[in-house]
Amino acid sequence: MSHMTNPLATVEQLYGRSTLNALPQDLQDTIFLAMQSLTQAGGLLLRLPQSVTAQANVVLARYWATISWPFVDEFSDISAASLFLVAKLSSHPATPRDLCNVYAYLLSPLSPLFRPSSDPSLSSKPDKTLYYLSEAGYNDTYARVLALESRILCALSFDTHVALPHGLAVTYLKALDFLDVSPPARLAQRVVAYLNTALLSPQLLYLTHQPSALAVAAIYNAAKDLDAKMPECAWWEVFDVDREELGFLVVGMRSVEGAVRAGREEVSAELREGNMITRAGIETEMRKRGMVLGNGPSSGGAAAQLTEEDILMRSLDERADQMDS
Amino acid sequence: MASKSRWADTEEDAELVAKQKREKEEKKRLKAEKARKAAEEEQKRIAAAQAQQAQAEQQSPQSLNEPPTKRRRLTPDQDGGDKTEQKGGKDSEGGGSTGESSAKLLRFEAPTWKPTASVENYDKLNDIEEGTYGWVARAKDLRSGKVVALKRLKLDESTGGGGARAGLPETGLREIQILKDCSHRNIVGLHEVVINEAAATSQNANRKEPIEAVFLVLEFVEHDLKSILEDMAEPFLASEVKTILRQLAEGVAYLHAHWILHRDLKTSNLLLNNRGQLKIADFGMARYVGDPAPPKLTQLVVTLWYRSPELLLGASTYDASVDMWSVGCIFGELLAREPLLQGRNEVDALSKIFELCGVPTEETWPGFRRLPNARSLRLPSASTAPAALTSSMIRAKFPLLTAAGCQLLNSLLSLDPRNRPAAADMLRHEYFRQDPKPKHEAMFPTFPSKAGQERRRRKETPNAPGRGQKAPASVDFSGIFAGREREERGGGFSLRMI
Repeated sequence: MSHMTNPLATVEQLYGRSTLNALPQDLQDTIFLAMQSLTQAGGLLLRLPQSVTAQANVVLARYWATISWPFVDEFSDISAASLFLVAKLSSHPATPRDLCNVYAYLLSPLSPLFRPSSDPSLSSKPDKTLYYLSEAGYNDTYARVLALESRILCALSFDTHVALPHGLAVTYLKALDFLDVSPPARLAQRVVAYLNTALLSPQLLYLTHQPSALAVAAIYNAAKDLDAKMPECAWWEVFDVDREELGFLVVGMRSVEGAVRAGREEVSAELREGNMITRAGIETEMRKRGMVLGNGPSSGGAAAQLTEEDILMRSLDERADQMDS
Repeated sequence: MASKSRWADTEEDAELVAKQKREKEEKKRLKAEKARKAAEEEQKRIAAAQAQQAQAEQQSPQSLNEPPTKRRRLTPDQDGGDKTEQKGGKDSEGGGSTGESSAKLLRFEAPTWKPTASVENYDKLNDIEEGTYGWVARAKDLRSGKVVALKRLKLDESTGGGGARAGLPETGLREIQILKDCSHRNIVGLHEVVINEAAATSQNANRKEPIEAVFLVLEFVEHDLKSILEDMAEPFLASEVKTILRQLAEGVAYLHAHWILHRDLKTSNLLLNNRGQLKIADFGMARYVGDPAPPKLTQLVVTLWYRSPELLLGASTYDASVDMWSVGCIFGELLAREPLLQGRNEVDALSKIFELCGVPTEETWPGFRRLPNARSLRLPSASTAPAALTSSMIRAKFPLLTAAGCQLLNSLLSLDPRNRPAAADMLRHEYFRQDPKPKHEAMFPTFPSKAGQERRRRKETPNAPGRGQKAPASVDFSGIFAGREREERGGGFSLRMI
């Protein structure tokens, strides 16, 4: 059965993301979206098959569900480490040097990933020194990736198994004779597009639903979009998905596009200034909003401003938390 | 029964809203109640029919475009969940089928993930084995009192300290992943993975603390087949060989059915407990494959004595049949009480194989000449070689084996991988149905435990090739039959079977 099922997040893991001391939800969503897009871009540039990159996305999402503010690691490193880990276990390993080079490029001012195509820095002649990664820089990046790799594994109790819904969806399409829709590839393409988009969903759909449900919902959405004729009975039950679950996923998958658009317009433009979101950026944003900052582990910034008393109080709090747990 | 009545309640709610349907539903409900008294089987069928009809009546294609009325509960408080459920009941006039679907849906059990625990939960009892395989110890779980085997994952020397270069080895991670995915009585069970104390406690405190040690907590099994074979005074009975072989085939069939190649089957990796159960262990070489098998698999797998001829000849595309060759070698070893093909190196291993199974010809193994290392292979040509050279010696080597057993061994040790049976086919072989029947596991003899008390002896078997080791660019097999040809010109190939 393990080929068709995934471990799912517990209610506490999902709920923990929206408790009072956590980051505001919109910032969380922005960070998550940026990390997932970065992972996809990294997978593309490393020429990894989408099956590997998608698994890295899911592993990243699982790790994301276990960590909370203040974050110990930089978001781009989390993305790189998930991709490195999953690729290493697949039949398409990425060499550390390639990985670090790709991420150096994606985080450089020349990367078109988080910039509108009209950005002037992209049109000018590329200055290759901007994404040149020296030997020392490579060693630093790689050491961070390795440290994170083991942290991810620890957080997931070494379970890196990911079952993707893509293959199931094709099987379901065949079972439903949906592939007869002309042209036959269009529907399947649409289904796969929905499944890949769902990887970015701030609702963490891959952590709350089994692949069979995701596949059915993607087929439903795709068939609706293309006006393909669906069976009139409750066909989703054949694939062990109830109507309620399907309804939730159908709406969830359709809402990703809106969420991405909204995130891009509102928060991210000023937050990342065309770059990948960093912890420092989040700290600045929080201060701008006048919110109390957690004791970010990064040097300088907020941590430096804390008085001795604050630090003492915090350590007491931490001890109390430890005793509670 | 409990769930039945709940469906019935929601049905009633829906009926209050849909007046037209109520009478009809009421009748059917009564009818269903009657039937419930009659027989449970009968009642289920009627309920199903009823729900189907209701669904057909109320099917409205637009309903799914509306926001869902009921969601998977994502907050821990109970009250919130109840409220939404009530709301769901009220809203359900459009697509009333929410509560009525009686189709039995398969619910997947979904495990979760939680931080890795510390090795301090286990108390070491004694070392079992130390050496090239890494470190294995017998330990007691302090929480449950159960005895387990702790296997320390071999981290490269550089990964232990701060200057990590390759990260956690993928072989170890694959082993963990595959064992986690497997659940079969003939495959050693993985309880959990634990790490050193400092790394385990630092996870919660959001501090960075490198992992220094990773331990696999495995089911404890008393013996391994290798040391039993070495120490036993009398060989296994024919019935006992069948029991062991059948369990091995069952385990391998499970692995292959789940797209896993073990790639290092040998007697020291087969464990046997005191209840006669065999467990396949050590998945350090194992990996998932697809069908067709991915190209460019490493040929550096399987311990030399159990390595199939196509691997020796450098095939980079291979499938489950490499495991079946190893099964054949183990079968022979169970009968002979010593490894069947103890080659000193690749060349020697291959010549031992050809000695036992005959020299391949274009008929017995079509296309073998195209394998990378076959070019340097100089074999007596098919037309001139005597039949004795190209035919198998297995029948002669195991005179006590029945004809069916011999046929099975012969097919497992086919030079052409396509002729080896799949593990599932092997289980249906006549050999297992013939007298003597496989001995019942409970009747299996017990053996003095080594792993229990003292240190296990170091193995003399060679090891599986190391990870990252380079495959020899081209092995020179030209020497194999160099002297043989002369021999042949003399009095023919001498049989050394007697």
